[in-house]
Amino acid sequence: MRDWFKQGEHWVWFSAATVSISFVLVVGLILMIAIRGLVHFWPHTVHEIEIKNDQGNIETLVGEIHDTQIKLVSAPDDPNAEVRKVPQWLIKIGNRDVYGTDFRWINTDNIIGQDDRLAKNVTVLERYEWGNVYGQLQSIVRDGEVRAEGGNVKNVLDDLVGTGQSLHDKINHIERVDIGSINYQIEQLRLEEKRLKAENAYDDQAREANETERERLNAEFRDYQEKLEILREQADGLGEARLSLAGGESIQVPIKHIVRMWQPNNMSSADKVGFFFSSIGHFLGGEPREANTEGGVFPAIVGTITMVMLMAIFVTPLGVIAAVYMSEYAREGLVLRLVRISINNLAGVPSIVFGIFGLGFFVYIIGGSIDDLFYSYAQPSPTFGTPGLLWASLTMALLTLPVVIVSTQEGLSRIPSSLREGGLALGATKSETIMKIVLPMSMPAIMTGLILAVARAAGEVAPLMLVGVVKLAPELPVDFNAPFVHLDRKFMHLGFHIYDVGFQSPNVEASQPLVYATSLLLIIIIVSLNLGAITIRNSLREKYKALDN
Amino acid sequence: MSEQNVGLAMDRDHRGMNLGKEQIAIEVKDWNLFYGSNQALNNITMSLPENRVTAFIGPSGCGKSTLLRCFNRMNDLISIVKVDGSMQLHGEDMYAKEMDVAALRRRVGMVFQKPNPFPKSIYENVCYGLRLQGINDKEVLDQTVEWALKSAGLWDEVKDRLDANALGLSGGQQQRLCIARAIAIKPEVLLLDEPTSALDPISTLAIEELIFELKKDFTILIVTHNMQQAARVSDYTAFMYMGDLIEYTDTDTLFTNPSVKRTEDYISGRYG
Repeated sequence: MRDWFKQGEHWVWFSAATVSISFVLVVGLILMIAIRGLVHFWPHTVHEIEIKNDQGNIETLVGEIHDTQIKLVSAPDDPNAEVRKVPQWLIKIGNRDVYGTDFRWINTDNIIGQDDRLAKNVTVLERYEWGNVYGQLQSIVRDGEVRAEGGNVKNVLDDLVGTGQSLHDKINHIERVDIGSINYQIEQLRLEEKRLKAENAYDDQAREANETERERLNAEFRDYQEKLEILREQADGLGEARLSLAGGESIQVPIKHIVRMWQPNNMSSADKVGFFFSSIGHFLGGEPREANTEGGVFPAIVGTITMVMLMAIFVTPLGVIAAVYMSEYAREGLVLRLVRISINNLAGVPSIVFGIFGLGFFVYIIGGSIDDLFYSYAQPSPTFGTPGLLWASLTMALLTLPVVIVSTQEGLSRIPSSLREGGLALGATKSETIMKIVLPMSMPAIMTGLILAVARAAGEVAPLMLVGVVKLAPELPVDFNAPFVHLDRKFMHLGFHIYDVGFQSPNVEASQPLVYATSLLLIIIIVSLNLGAITIRNSLREKYKALDN
Repeated sequence: MSEQNVGLAMDRDHRGMNLGKEQIAIEVKDWNLFYGSNQALNNITMSLPENRVTAFIGPSGCGKSTLLRCFNRMNDLISIVKVDGSMQLHGEDMYAKEMDVAALRRRVGMVFQKPNPFPKSIYENVCYGLRLQGINDKEVLDQTVEWALKSAGLWDEVKDRLDANALGLSGGQQQRLCIARAIAIKPEVLLLDEPTSALDPISTLAIEELIFELKKDFTILIVTHNMQQAARVSDYTAFMYMGDLIEYTDTDTLFTNPSVKRTEDYISGRYG
């Protein structure tokens, strides 16, 4: 044993243990997020459970078992009684409009009879509002008359839901895209009028042009309103689905409110896999609903990607030019050393500090000045003097600047000096050599830095809260109205979405799986970006191997 | 172009020689070079004849590469280097203030010790210097590339794969490509800095034959560690030691009948 210590074996074991712990932690983290996130999309089996409630009455619950826990219970009227451990189940019972809550904890003690009974032929309806409905599909009612009943009612409802979906898409398209565009143009006209008035150039001719244009837009708007009216009538005409609930109540759900329907207990495995992927599709492509606790994250994905791309456009030239100056032109000395130290330390500044800087400098000083100079007619409502996409991207560009500078410098220093000399010896000037040989060869390193910066920016939350990210953005930062990318708009972001859904949500249980799913999405985006960086770096090494022979 | 008979005038300290009626390409007078406070070249004075091969030999650190890099002002890249004295290319002061260094380097081409092709195609490597001068005419480029590769003895080996990456060539081929790249812009002088030290004997032989061919068109200055090589390829040889030019004369005389004891010691292998 003494020998064992003498030879330092225990240090080997100790270091091996720390490595294992780190590895297990990383794998465990990803597995937990992946499992909890993906389970959300799988069609859960719906159980029918009979329990005795506190009043001693027998109650039937129909729902999905979402979670289990052990609760310590002591009898309330007997302080000497032993504390009992009671397993509890979290049941998603849905029907929030009827029961007032989506979720219920039940003590398994109170379960009567078979606790694993399946609810036969139960139908689940996902609604735009009020969450899911779990119940037995009875009939389809239109104008007070029963339109379908019995065996084929499920197929009829399936078709109607499909029709309702396409109507919903059309209505959504008109509201968002067409009317959105008209509203945008009318707003532009209003600002134009304000601007001309401020310049005292709003003469009769301008007024006439403005009003004609506005009239035209209003007419167009009325056209769309009529179209919408027709579509809405069609949606109303789809009728209502009548379901009986576990407690014997029955509810009628307008079909136009239904997102999807499924019968989880009757699904084959193939159906379930299909449903799983269509759920993921809904998640990735859908709009958030119900205070972000349901629906998709599409606006957050668009916002994240737009912000990150703008950031890349800002940070690349800045970082590359700074790195080229520092490693190719600047004279070694105290100043350069100080600059290097500052850049390295800039990478260590807490990100929230960048957020404060972005808010104070970009938004208030720069944005405020831009408003004063160019948009004074629109005041007091700010145009650029308020957090928005541009300032968020610029703040993130500052935040990631050190990454780009450092990796570009590394790339530049890897170019063998023999190649620079080769260029110079052929009569190239220094800048020609840099532009034509050194920079193209450093491209992989620049790309690596850029991708690392993108990964960092995609995952950052704290500074963004101050400079432009919001819980729910009314419009996407990119759309079909010129100039297509709206730098002044606020936007949504995956990282902030996780924070908001997880911690600011009124419905904790409902939002929990979404937190995991969104985290998983964010991890996947960042991991794939990093994998890209590694691939590029490896190909760079391959390239240099050829040079070393 | 200056035509001088400098033979007898330089016949002092055994550094001069009879260049006869040779045309002078580069004229060096009292040339000193300092790395910071270290003097690396001491009072070098020599005339380098046109269309001849002049070899610089000497032990490591004797300053022969440093001197070679003075001829195309490569030393300018090192900030601590200071020079004084005069150096003239065909009578033109190479270190004059108004001299365009890039233009000078187009007139004095250089091939380095280690092959350094750019990671581009063979074709683009050869026409790199031309493109720098703004020549993008496909016909001119094609002709020049073919001529340069033929002159470098590489054409037959690569004519079918001009678009292939130059890094895929063997070391000897890469070095010949670098020579082709250097001569493609038709310099007056070609500097070869130990061009075969990284190559195998067969590639070395190919390059030596090439040097013999190239001297018809170019003035060639070659630095080499290999005394046999100097004896084989050069018309004139300069022996340098510790920053001094010890002896400079025609190759036959230097190797068979050196007039300085140090030269004799070195070429007979007693030190260095």
